[in-house]
Amino acid sequence: MSRTLRRISREVWLFFWRDLLIARTYRTAFLLESVEALFGAAMLYYVAKFVDSPLLERTLPQAGGYFAFSLVGFIFLDYLNVSLDSFDRSLQEARDSGTLEHLLVTQTSLPVLVAGSAIYPFAITTVRIAIYIVWGVLLFHFPLHSANWLGVFAMLAATLLAFCGLGILSASYLLLFKRGNPAKWFLLGISSVTGGMLFPVSILPDWLQFVARLNPVSYALDGMRTALLAGTGFSALLDPLAALLGFAVVLLPCSVFIFAWALRRTKMNGTLTHS
Amino acid sequence: MPETPTSSVSPISPIRIDQVQKFFPPARSGWRAYLQPFERATSLALAGISLEVRSGEAVALLGTNGAGKSTLLKILATLLLPTAGHARVAGHDTVQDSRAVRRHLGYHAGTDHGFYPRLTGRQNLLFFGRLNHLSRAAATQRIVLLAQQFHFEDALDRQVRTLSTGAVQRLSLARALLHQPSVLLLDEPTRSLDAIAAAEFRRFLKNEILRRGDTSLLFASHTLSEVELLADRVAVIEKGRLLAFDTPAALKHYTSSDTMEDVFLRITGRPSPDAAPGDFVIHPESAPT
Repeated sequence: MSRTLRRISREVWLFFWRDLLIARTYRTAFLLESVEALFGAAMLYYVAKFVDSPLLERTLPQAGGYFAFSLVGFIFLDYLNVSLDSFDRSLQEARDSGTLEHLLVTQTSLPVLVAGSAIYPFAITTVRIAIYIVWGVLLFHFPLHSANWLGVFAMLAATLLAFCGLGILSASYLLLFKRGNPAKWFLLGISSVTGGMLFPVSILPDWLQFVARLNPVSYALDGMRTALLAGTGFSALLDPLAALLGFAVVLLPCSVFIFAWALRRTKMNGTLTHS
Repeated sequence: MPETPTSSVSPISPIRIDQVQKFFPPARSGWRAYLQPFERATSLALAGISLEVRSGEAVALLGTNGAGKSTLLKILATLLLPTAGHARVAGHDTVQDSRAVRRHLGYHAGTDHGFYPRLTGRQNLLFFGRLNHLSRAAATQRIVLLAQQFHFEDALDRQVRTLSTGAVQRLSLARALLHQPSVLLLDEPTRSLDAIAAAEFRRFLKNEILRRGDTSLLFASHTLSEVELLADRVAVIEKGRLLAFDTPAALKHYTSSDTMEDVFLRITGRPSPDAAPGDFVIHPESAPT
């Protein structure tokens, strides 16, 4: 078992190394992304200056005002995006570049290939989020002094697990149908309304609040804001953590099962490497 | 004249194909494409092909475009599942034990090269070599050796996007050989190579790979001189059916032909200056083996 795990870790690392080498050939990308993060943080800061009021302050569930609330929401949209995008994008890119066929005849399985290809996008998104927060702290008074870092990392891990299931489902769809994934756009659309990114879920009508409770994004955002901004202990995070792990327990096995079925189907139909 | 090897027959055939059939679902466009994954497979690609490649043997698949050669190679490479029948590589079933099959395989598809254009030749080969469980040191050593043998040392430290088609083709062939597989599947291996590079590659295959006797080769080719030079036996496939399977000499004798071109034309029943269509169709069950 541990030998298999070591092998899988080594293979996953190889994909990370590949993507890192490719990223290094785009020398200015990191600089441009840092500047983009600065503009993003500045935009939210000035929107917050415009809309902040004592009434709004009372409506928000955590301290820090609207800037901190919206910045956490905005940067977490990135995580949802990358989790829905990276699995099927890695598959699509491998198919388009002609590398998929050659990857599939190596001793590395397709699930490891897809998961390995998603590691770099997740890592770089984490770095991008950190840059947003650094800009926020350095220039716009983002209140990081009360952050519960253990809680932040626990929330991050639970969020990744829950979102990975969605990403693998998305990749399964792409395997079968070879084209843009409407489920992804639907989920992103639903999340933009019920995820609580730019406004608290509590202002939504009851039926939309019910929809929000079925969406892992709302738990991820709630937990991350609590961990970063509320200055509370770990116990305040137990509910969102349990909800996210619940989503992961259901979504991960289902998505892996559906992915395996879709893979077999495409190998039967001869469309595995078709664009 | 190639001779069929007899001395090194192993109890487990490197490649054994038993009654392999393959049907594909019909191609669909527009909204019907959403139903395609669930449609019945009705388009015939392979109609119950059986053949065996012995240890150290080179077998050529000869056939027109769409005959089923690439489909057969992809089934062996575990990229496709057969509709019926069984294919085994080094004793492992390509469906039930695909990972074990891939341990023994080197595969090269002539139609695309599949490299990361912004990585160098060396970085690409190292990546694929390590995915085939070569250690970093072993992969590095093999890359240098193959680069010398295929004359692509210059390509090793340049980004693949800056290389010529021929150089990329050499890299692709090197990738198939990197982990020293016991079974090589090559789909039109010299397709994009210039005449000199193609000749060098054939010489390399013949002298360095096949002469050792521990690697079995199944390759598809439209270049009849290549087939004649490399193949111990030739499988002629037409519309998914195996029409003949024997040594080039036996096929020539059987069809009273002087060249492989005539052999192919006569076996597939195509117009030939010397024979009426269909006169020389050899069914595998009646063909000498």
